[in-house]
Amino acid sequence: MQRFLNPAVLASISSLDLLAKTVVDGFMAGLHRSPDFGFSQEFAEYRAYVPGDDLRYVDWNLFARTERSYLKRYRGETNSQLAILLDASNSMLYTSGPLKKMDYARFIAASLFYLAIRNQRDAAGLIVFDDEVREYIRPSTRQGQLARLFAGLERAEPRARTDFGKPLQHFQSLLHRRGIVIVISDFYEEPKKIVRAIEPLRFRGNDVVLFHILDPQEVRPVLNAPAILVDLETDQKIEVIPAYAKTTYRAKMEAHIEQLRSRTRGAGMDYQMIVTDQPLDAALREYLTLRQEGN
Amino acid sequence: MGFLAPWFLAGLAALAVPVFVHLLRKHVTIPRPVSSLMFFERGTQSSTRHRRLRYLLLFALRFALLLLIVLAFANPFVRRPATDTAGHLSLIVLDDSFSMRAGTRFADAKQQALQLLATKPHSQKAQVMTLGGQLQMLTQPISDEAQLHSAIESIQPGDGRANFGEFGRSVRAMAEMVHVPIDVHLFSDMQRTAMPANFAEMVMPASATLILHPIANGTPLPNWTVESVSAPAELEDPKDPRQSRVQAVVAGFSTPATEKTVTLVVNGKVAATRKVNVPASGRASVEFAPLGMGYGFNRCEVRLENHDAFPADDASVFAVRRSDPERVLFVRAANDTRATLYFSSALSAAAQGAYVLQPMAAEQTTDIDASKYAFVVLSNAVSLPSIFEHTLEQYVSKGGSVLIALGPGARSHMRIPLWAGDVKDTHDYARNGAAATVGQVDFTHPALEQAQPGRDNGGWAETKFFYAVTVDPQHARVAARLSDGTPLLLDRRMGEGHILLLTSGLENLTNDLPLHPVFVAFVDKMARYLSGSDALSGSRLVDSFVQLRSATEPKGEVASVEVIDLDGQRPLSLAEARTAQTFRLQRAGFYQIRFANGRDAIIGVNPDRRESDLEPIAPDVQQLWSGSKSGAPKQADKIAVADAKSRPISLWWYVMLLALLVALAETAVASGYMGTQREEV
Repeated sequence: MQRFLNPAVLASISSLDLLAKTVVDGFMAGLHRSPDFGFSQEFAEYRAYVPGDDLRYVDWNLFARTERSYLKRYRGETNSQLAILLDASNSMLYTSGPLKKMDYARFIAASLFYLAIRNQRDAAGLIVFDDEVREYIRPSTRQGQLARLFAGLERAEPRARTDFGKPLQHFQSLLHRRGIVIVISDFYEEPKKIVRAIEPLRFRGNDVVLFHILDPQEVRPVLNAPAILVDLETDQKIEVIPAYAKTTYRAKMEAHIEQLRSRTRGAGMDYQMIVTDQPLDAALREYLTLRQEGN
Repeated sequence: MGFLAPWFLAGLAALAVPVFVHLLRKHVTIPRPVSSLMFFERGTQSSTRHRRLRYLLLFALRFALLLLIVLAFANPFVRRPATDTAGHLSLIVLDDSFSMRAGTRFADAKQQALQLLATKPHSQKAQVMTLGGQLQMLTQPISDEAQLHSAIESIQPGDGRANFGEFGRSVRAMAEMVHVPIDVHLFSDMQRTAMPANFAEMVMPASATLILHPIANGTPLPNWTVESVSAPAELEDPKDPRQSRVQAVVAGFSTPATEKTVTLVVNGKVAATRKVNVPASGRASVEFAPLGMGYGFNRCEVRLENHDAFPADDASVFAVRRSDPERVLFVRAANDTRATLYFSSALSAAAQGAYVLQPMAAEQTTDIDASKYAFVVLSNAVSLPSIFEHTLEQYVSKGGSVLIALGPGARSHMRIPLWAGDVKDTHDYARNGAAATVGQVDFTHPALEQAQPGRDNGGWAETKFFYAVTVDPQHARVAARLSDGTPLLLDRRMGEGHILLLTSGLENLTNDLPLHPVFVAFVDKMARYLSGSDALSGSRLVDSFVQLRSATEPKGEVASVEVIDLDGQRPLSLAEARTAQTFRLQRAGFYQIRFANGRDAIIGVNPDRRESDLEPIAPDVQQLWSGSKSGAPKQADKIAVADAKSRPISLWWYVMLLALLVALAETAVASGYMGTQREEV
């Protein structure tokens, strides 16, 4: 099943519903084989009774069989809220292969929604933004929420340029409850500005995760000859020589990623860089890790 | 260099393709989208330079490839000089004329000719010739260097006179027979006097290239010579001051004024010595008189003492024969006394003639032996005894000569003795009231010879003829005609002898010729011509011919001639001695000759004195000559000559090989540009 997590394979699946189901089921099947990962909504562990413990949590059935008092510990019902902030700027249209960054972002979002709603019974919502908020689907666990989210993802076609400042002011007013906030973007902005714009969500008690979606060509561009490059957002054109792309650009890009990583973590947020030729499980693992920590 | 298929050069238009692709066409770059230019910087200038540098090499290779392919189709060729072609003839002409004896000229010329022969390609044919009195071929066109070398080595300087006009004619004649280009190498002192009067005569043909190797250039050497000698061939009385004298002209060429000592040598002994002042580059005459000579042939020499740069021309030889006066039989009509008087007076007045006239009536000639006489004159004697006429026929056929003058007697007697024809008509101009004059005179005839006849027709225009007869010239040479076309003087050979026929009389009744001075000169020259004394002594020029016997078919027993040259050798073989009609006097000195008519002669032979002028042809004229070609040859001839002078060598293979190399280089460079750039890890 792992092969279905290959982005190139997933790109051939047109339905986000089917795609998310494929990804999550495959991912979950993989988890069962791992002893380290396991999670339950109710039972957590047994612990020996010590005086002072609440007798309500003693497992009397076990006491009856073993005449020993153990406390049955449960994980609390979280009812976490998942909010995905999806960047739908033009830069997300870039691709050097079969899969655009936007498609990859949709797959991640769809998979996360599927996992949250179907598996976790969590409320999930979607905010699509570019230089402003273009679509908002309130987090909910109501019937049909998953379909609405998928529809929202389908409608999220990139149009304008990214501007984290303006839409994130609205995010605070739209997200009332604490929860998990996942920002999916290529983050072509100064890391300082990005963190400053997203930081308030963290201050409100949200677990914030930044999914940095990048194309392989953006990480390690290859130019055989001098080329004219067009900015997808601004239509600006410049001529670039291969030597520059091979050396300076890579250094700048690595510095940018590193700075973003350090600044987000410094602000108590999680950062995950995902290259579009990687399997989707990295995003899912990140999400599940957060869930575990949140419990 | 040229092209065998030049129309393929139109393909050069294809060169515009790489020019357009590489230089004119704008570099089209498809813009490449990126998410953001946040981390990119502009690098236009460096990238443009980089692209231009890379593509200029490719452009150059493609341009060269197209150019080479077009050139290969046009089939370029180069012309190799014709010197290495097998069909090319090198004509080595060595001047062996008399002037080449001056200094080391001939040795230098021979040395240069041998050096040229040494540099000749082995396969090339060459021919060795000499340019002296006549162009003489020593070898056939051969490539054997040993034969050519020995031919050149065998050449010795001669005494002849070079004539570039004859040389040009000979080469032109050769070019018509030899259909290959000829390189004519002329090794000569390039004497100016060897040039003909007309430059066109020495022009080379179109297929011949003249390469001059002048031996002597610059200032000519000063040279004195005995230019001419005037001496009697026959001498009867050494004490006669009119005859017994020798006049010599000493000439200087490029010389300062000086005094020269001139010596007359007779039979090897100095007879007299004179001093003469010769002006600068001028002439002076010297006279020796009287001459003390013995009977028979005397070998004489006028010599300049104190040798100069060219001692070979300091002497001039001649022969003088001293003899008693010869008798001339004058047969006349019985009543003809005037003719005897006039003819006798004229004959005795002639300066160099040594004749005694013996008049005799025609009727008295029956027992006369004509062979005792130098010649016989028949004056108005149209009726001869048959026995005498027969004697005369034998006399003439063996070499005797007869002058027949037809006076009024011919009017009644139509037959002319000895002459094959009869009298056809008589013209009595006196009856018509107007005398005839002499209209045409052949001054080349020995009896009428004049070097430069005046405007009065050499004195003949003033003579008047009142009576003349008309005869059939037949095979006779007409030496003079009257104004109405009637032949006046005819010359006919008969056996070894001559018969001169004057169609008028020798007296003053039929014409007034005896009253004019030209009569004396006429009688003098005629007497010498008929007696043949001119041929027996005196001097000749080198390369002149001596007539040994008559040109007519010999009758009866054939007499042999004998020639002994200056070395005492007999240059004629026995067969040639019986058949040769002429003999060419090739060397300077004394020749001893016995003619077919039995007469002996000693002839002094001198080089042509024009050879003594050592001044060379001006350099610009030499250049003009060596660069001249005949007329305006046709275009086809030009092409043929050009083809013949050089051999086209196609460069097709070389060009195609170069094109292949360029194509390989272009492939390598282009593939380098198009190859995937490997990622540097």
